[in-house]
Amino acid sequence: MFERRLYHHIDWALIGAVGAICAIGLAMIYSTTGGAGSVYWTQVYALGLGAMALVLCLTFDYRSLADKSHFFYLAMVIALVGVLFFGAVRGGSRRWLDLGAFNLQPSEFAKATLALMLAKMLGEERRSALTNTDLAIAIVLTLVPFLAIARQPDLGTAVTLLPILLVVAFVAGMPMRYVYTMVLLAVLAAPIAYKFGLQDYQRERISTFLDPAQDPRGAGYQQIQARITVGSGGVWGKGYLEGTQGQLRFLPVAHNDFIFSVLAEEQGLVGVLVALGLYLFVIMRALDAARLAKDRLGAYLVLGVLSSFTFQVVYNITMSAGLAPVKGLTLPLMSYGGSSMIATLTGFGLILNVRMRRFTN
Amino acid sequence: MAIAEDRRRLTTRLAVLRVSTAAAFGLLACGFWFFQVVQHAKFKEMAENNHQRTLPLRAPRGIIFDRAGRLLVDNRNSFNISIVREHTKDIDRTIRVLAAVTGVAEKMVREIVDRQRREPSYRPIVIIPDATLAQVAAVTARRLDFELPDVLVQEVPTREYPDQAMAAHLIGYVGEASEEQVSADHLASGSIVGQFGIERVYNKLLMGEDGARRVVVNSVGREIRTLEEVKPVQGRRVQLAINSAMQKAAEEAFRAYGYWGSAVVLEPKGGDVLTLTSLPAFDPNDFATGIDRATWSQLNTDKLRPLQNRAIQGRYSPGSTFKVLLATAALEEGVITPEQQIFCAGGGTFYGRFFQCLGKHGWMDMRHAIEKSCNTYFYTVGDMLGIDRIHKWGEQLGLAGKSGIDLPNEVESIVPSQEWKRKRFNEKWYAGDTISVAIGQGMVDVTPMALAVMMATVANGGTRVVPRLVKAYDEGNGWQPVAVPPNPYPPVLLKPATIAAVRDGLWMVVNGAGTGRRAMVAGREVAGKTGTAQVISLQGRERARGKTEQDLRDHGWFVFMAPKDNPEIAGVVFAEHGEHGSSSAMVAHHVIETYFAQRDGLPLPPVPVPPVTTPATPAPARAVATVGPAGGTR
Repeated sequence: MFERRLYHHIDWALIGAVGAICAIGLAMIYSTTGGAGSVYWTQVYALGLGAMALVLCLTFDYRSLADKSHFFYLAMVIALVGVLFFGAVRGGSRRWLDLGAFNLQPSEFAKATLALMLAKMLGEERRSALTNTDLAIAIVLTLVPFLAIARQPDLGTAVTLLPILLVVAFVAGMPMRYVYTMVLLAVLAAPIAYKFGLQDYQRERISTFLDPAQDPRGAGYQQIQARITVGSGGVWGKGYLEGTQGQLRFLPVAHNDFIFSVLAEEQGLVGVLVALGLYLFVIMRALDAARLAKDRLGAYLVLGVLSSFTFQVVYNITMSAGLAPVKGLTLPLMSYGGSSMIATLTGFGLILNVRMRRFTN
Repeated sequence: MAIAEDRRRLTTRLAVLRVSTAAAFGLLACGFWFFQVVQHAKFKEMAENNHQRTLPLRAPRGIIFDRAGRLLVDNRNSFNISIVREHTKDIDRTIRVLAAVTGVAEKMVREIVDRQRREPSYRPIVIIPDATLAQVAAVTARRLDFELPDVLVQEVPTREYPDQAMAAHLIGYVGEASEEQVSADHLASGSIVGQFGIERVYNKLLMGEDGARRVVVNSVGREIRTLEEVKPVQGRRVQLAINSAMQKAAEEAFRAYGYWGSAVVLEPKGGDVLTLTSLPAFDPNDFATGIDRATWSQLNTDKLRPLQNRAIQGRYSPGSTFKVLLATAALEEGVITPEQQIFCAGGGTFYGRFFQCLGKHGWMDMRHAIEKSCNTYFYTVGDMLGIDRIHKWGEQLGLAGKSGIDLPNEVESIVPSQEWKRKRFNEKWYAGDTISVAIGQGMVDVTPMALAVMMATVANGGTRVVPRLVKAYDEGNGWQPVAVPPNPYPPVLLKPATIAAVRDGLWMVVNGAGTGRRAMVAGREVAGKTGTAQVISLQGRERARGKTEQDLRDHGWFVFMAPKDNPEIAGVVFAEHGEHGSSSAMVAHHVIETYFAQRDGLPLPPVPVPPVTTPATPAPARAVATVGPAGGTR
């Protein structure tokens, strides 16, 4: 289990950066929700629970966790299906399991579980190259939770599962022609989809997105407001608690989806660069962990967890600047959300675990 | 081998991921730099527009008092419910909900919005001016429910006229500035300015300076805090020369006796207008919050023309009241002496035509000719004077031309001259024309105001006065007299003999065997002259064709001064279709009595009860379909 010497291999820099991001997030939640209210305290408790989950994750060898990955996977699928039947309904979708004291959002934990499952499956040392069968199995393993989450409906979270599949398959040796084909398809599909696949209002949304002044009250409201929020921050920002867009609720769900916009408003470009730098540092440091990993299992596990995280970070920040259509994707580590916080920190527990045990047998 | 290859592939693909992630972050940083640095100014302004609103604070207009400090025009707070389209997401929904909540017809709300569609969207469109408290409460409750962020409830100072229609033509009314007024006076569009009467003429004094409040609002438009506030400055307080007790008495008396018409009372020395009434009138309160179309068109199409200020815009034949001018002119010009007598045999023949008198008066001197209103005497005197000297004295005494009162749209009174007729009709003046003029018929056409000025001039000894409505204003540092332009008319002293004879004659009209006995007030030495202005001769032709439905009864006049020897008041009462001057004399009686009662601190006389049995009085209170300022309640 946890040996004393492992302690020296803990990546304190990564933990420090993650902690810093969480602290920034907490400060922004404090600002956007008008002080230390219930939202703020929920986040504080989630942080504590997440830290405990992280420590707990560290104590077990990731390999023994991977050995039990099918149990975790099964439990996750059961929980997701359970949500569909017994989940609490909020805002039109069924995402939460009511556990009395708190609500749990199983879909948040699906990411790390799927990463563990795929890493285990594709990272087994005896396999030399990725076969089409492996790929097909991986796709099925991904689609099951994907569809369950999409049914809730929570397309945003469901989509975050796809990078796990893609990245793990990619590093596991998915033939490059598949990669090229996918890229090509994406490029070709875009204009066709724009022309034939979209409804008028969706096209309108894109054109307002390109020209903010066109319809400031209609389709593009949130995007416009996001840009105004970010742009009005300037280089140095309006000052902590001094933002007008977030404070006066011109930007909806500021403590959630648009927390980065509020950061940009109150702390300016400087704050943005600091936060971006921290995230980039965390990602690069985690990629290091993948590179240094003792085995493929470890590397894939790290990448699986990291891909979902990175995708969500990049998408959310792009959306925060009003540069992407608004989808209900939170910013990991910063946005308000207990399950997300705990699940993300659990994921980092796994990453730290792999790095820490790079010299063990 | 396989493992090494595996490793290499992993390392390469990791590098790909590393580079793409870094590139993504680089692009994000560029995006933020573009918005936060390059386009910062634009977004900063947009953010400010989002959360800052400048709300105009309308300045209350100045309060208006009468000469005794009694309040005539006040302000009250009213609530306007408006739509600010700038914050509208769905105008149809807003209209629907607002109409339902306030109980106003949806069609009407839509019409108002449509009418102002071209206005800038930040400017509130007032949907319900002067909303009831229930409407305000309904809307305010909805607003808190975040339902109508684009509906604005504003408290605005609004003009209030506690006496409703009293002195309406004098005080005037306010309204939204027209486009011309906005550009001429550099006003903010939507400003409330005076549009009529004192409100218009002294608008600059009465209008305050609007303030503004810059506030921070949240996304649903609720005010969070005030950033800056410029307080509105109330307009100056204005004191009128009006004596509201007399004003009220005049209007009361008109109503009691059932006449429309006009009364003007001046202070003979300074020209202060103590009373100026014109009936029927309108209620300026109807205009204070924007007049509705129905009321406006009714006021405009009413045959009785309630918007016309008869005192300065109505022109009528002065009838026998003109004899005051003739008597003064004749004595001053020396064509006759007060004692010189002329024989009245019931009329006289001048230039081949017989002109009738109303009686056979026998030998008449000036005093008795005035008392009996002997036409024959004045035909003769008029003939002796000639039209140009009559005209000259018309100007001298203020009966010709405009009085110059500080009200707009005054019409000119006409006392003809040879030159006037040549210019007007391109015709020669015939000496025979002078004879009808001598008794105030024919080509004489004067306003009640002109007759009032004539009486004031005769009363003060000969100096023509310019009637003044405003005495003083107060900017907050005490009353200051308004700058009065110097009297353009040189001081004149009539001969004592003239004054004595005219005053005696007028006194006898009221206190002797004359036609003005109804104006007699015991112990007050009222001097006056009645007059009857024929309507029939003017309208005769039309009546013959049966085309007119107009009232053809004569107008009644009464001009007066009191007390006789040192007059403190002088004026005129004009009773439209009053048939005879005694109708006007009754109204004047009440006004004069009120003046002296107030001066001496006595109880004011009660509202007169119309004498039922008097044959000279027409049936009172002819049913007249007019918007009811007469006795109007609000």
